[in-house]
Amino acid sequence: MEEFIKILSPEYINLTLSNILLNHKNDIYLIIETVLKIAAFYGGIMSLAGLLTIGERKISALMQDRIGPNRANIFKFTLWGLFHPMADGIKMIMKEDFIPKNASKILFTIAPVISMVPVLVVFAFIPFGNYLDLGFYKINFIILDSDLSFFLLIAISSLAIYGTFLGGFSSGNNWGILGAIRAQAQMISYEVVVVLSVLPVIMIYSASSLSDLTLKQSGTILGIIPNWGIFVQPVSFLIFFTAALAENKRTPFDVVEGESEIIGYFIEHGSMRFAAFMFAEYVEIILFSMLASIFFFGGWQVPYLNDQGFNLGSFFIPINHYLIVLMQLASFALKTVFFSVLVIMIRWTLPRFRFDQIMRLCWANLLPISVLNLLLTALIIRGIK
Amino acid sequence: MIRTKKIESKPLNFFEKIYIIEVIRGFSVTLKHFFINLFFPSKIPTISYPEEKVLLPGNAKLKSRHRIKLRSDGTPKCVACMMCSTICPADCIHIEAAETETPVEKYPKVFNIDISKCVMCGLCVEACPEDAISMDTNEIAGGAYSRFSNFQKDGLFLTKNELFIKLKDEKISKLGAANRLENEYGERND
Ligand code: SF4
Ligand code: SF4
Repeated sequence: MEEFIKILSPEYINLTLSNILLNHKNDIYLIIETVLKIAAFYGGIMSLAGLLTIGERKISALMQDRIGPNRANIFKFTLWGLFHPMADGIKMIMKEDFIPKNASKILFTIAPVISMVPVLVVFAFIPFGNYLDLGFYKINFIILDSDLSFFLLIAISSLAIYGTFLGGFSSGNNWGILGAIRAQAQMISYEVVVVLSVLPVIMIYSASSLSDLTLKQSGTILGIIPNWGIFVQPVSFLIFFTAALAENKRTPFDVVEGESEIIGYFIEHGSMRFAAFMFAEYVEIILFSMLASIFFFGGWQVPYLNDQGFNLGSFFIPINHYLIVLMQLASFALKTVFFSVLVIMIRWTLPRFRFDQIMRLCWANLLPISVLNLLLTALIIRGIK
Repeated sequence: MIRTKKIESKPLNFFEKIYIIEVIRGFSVTLKHFFINLFFPSKIPTISYPEEKVLLPGNAKLKSRHRIKLRSDGTPKCVACMMCSTICPADCIHIEAAETETPVEKYPKVFNIDISKCVMCGLCVEACPEDAISMDTNEIAGGAYSRFSNFQKDGLFLTKNELFIKLKDEKISKLGAANRLENEYGERND
């Protein structure tokens, strides 16, 4: 009994708690750090995806001499149409949640979730900055750093096909099934090309994880050009860009949706289910932009900036560590936004390919070129060694 | 006989085939529009309609909302001859005639036009012997151009109040058969 009272006494509890805190200090720091990183990074991605939905409409409007959506307002404040994503969200939630009679209920319900989850999970492997040294603690700006991150990334992101396919297949609508079949053919074909096109870059920098890859893209070639993937492997970049666009089902490769003919795999999905598909598409654009900048534009690298400051030849400006971190984060964000906008602009510039053209482009053009590129790179690396 | 037309499509040359140059050309077009519209938004031809009003362009202003012209003393020029309601293909003009004290003898007691049925053909204007009905108000019935608009359906139903109006700085016209009456009538008034 006395023992028990002793355990319950406040002093004892305080002691044990502080003991636990002391013994597991690093674990607790790690948990807090990870939670904060997830909140910040995913918050950023989500808001960027929301902004892209309005950005897409605004950009397309400007390219076609229109104004674009500008009417949603709160107390007559329109904020250049920035309330439209919110208005869309409210509208989607208020809509009737409808499941067609022929649809397979379970698959129909989980398909939008399946299409969202893999794309969102993949962001854990993406380094969005170098590290922040707080003196007593060092934060790496990556949620999950693993040597296998490149392979995990490819493995998980290729699961996205399931959401698309099941969405069309389960809806019991012939157009939906047609969209699903097209999606399967197109996404699986281009998956191969995407992987083959980034392999040369991985080989050249001999890196397996994405953070390692970004780190190795520091410095310069010949003292002037930043040591980025695009300057080492320009062909790879072009192939990657095309294939990833197709993998994302974005115009000019949007036969899967084919808004003007079959509406595609989400034809029967309404309300928030449709919103999930749509949102997944925009998140995929962001993922694609981040991957493009990591593989070919040095990720968070700022040209000529190293850990101490700007360095170009014999020229050197020292810069505060926190400023460097900020610049690196900003550099990554800027590259991501740039590529996202580029993807959107491509949609409003290029006409759509026919399905046979898409397939021919993949198997007859991009695949041989990327394999050749891979072999050539391997030979050159071998020769240098 | 079936007539066919063979369309010759030019074979693509090498640069068109590799497509990248064509992509850049396409981008130069869209980006030009994008940046011009981004930095000079006033160049976008859109008119933010209810807030922003312009004169209807070209001949559209000859087919705007109807009105009945007024004489110099404010009575309607219309003599309730029913020609407009007879010719109207949409059958949307409703007139009830009544007698006047003046030598004009007839005037419309009720004059309704249901713009929601009107096809804006302008035949009523052509038919009118008195040059009374006209479509020169430069307003779109029911829309923001209309001074009676409330964006409701009943904004499309024009009655005497909305129809018998004088335009700003309008010169009283003495065209058509109204000329004689107008002169006669005007002289008597003097
Ligand atoms: S414009 Fe044509 S349809 Fe309209 S009221 Fe006149 S005659 Fe009838
Ligand atoms: S044709 Fe002219 S005068 Fe005759 S009823 Fe119509 S508006 Fe009046």
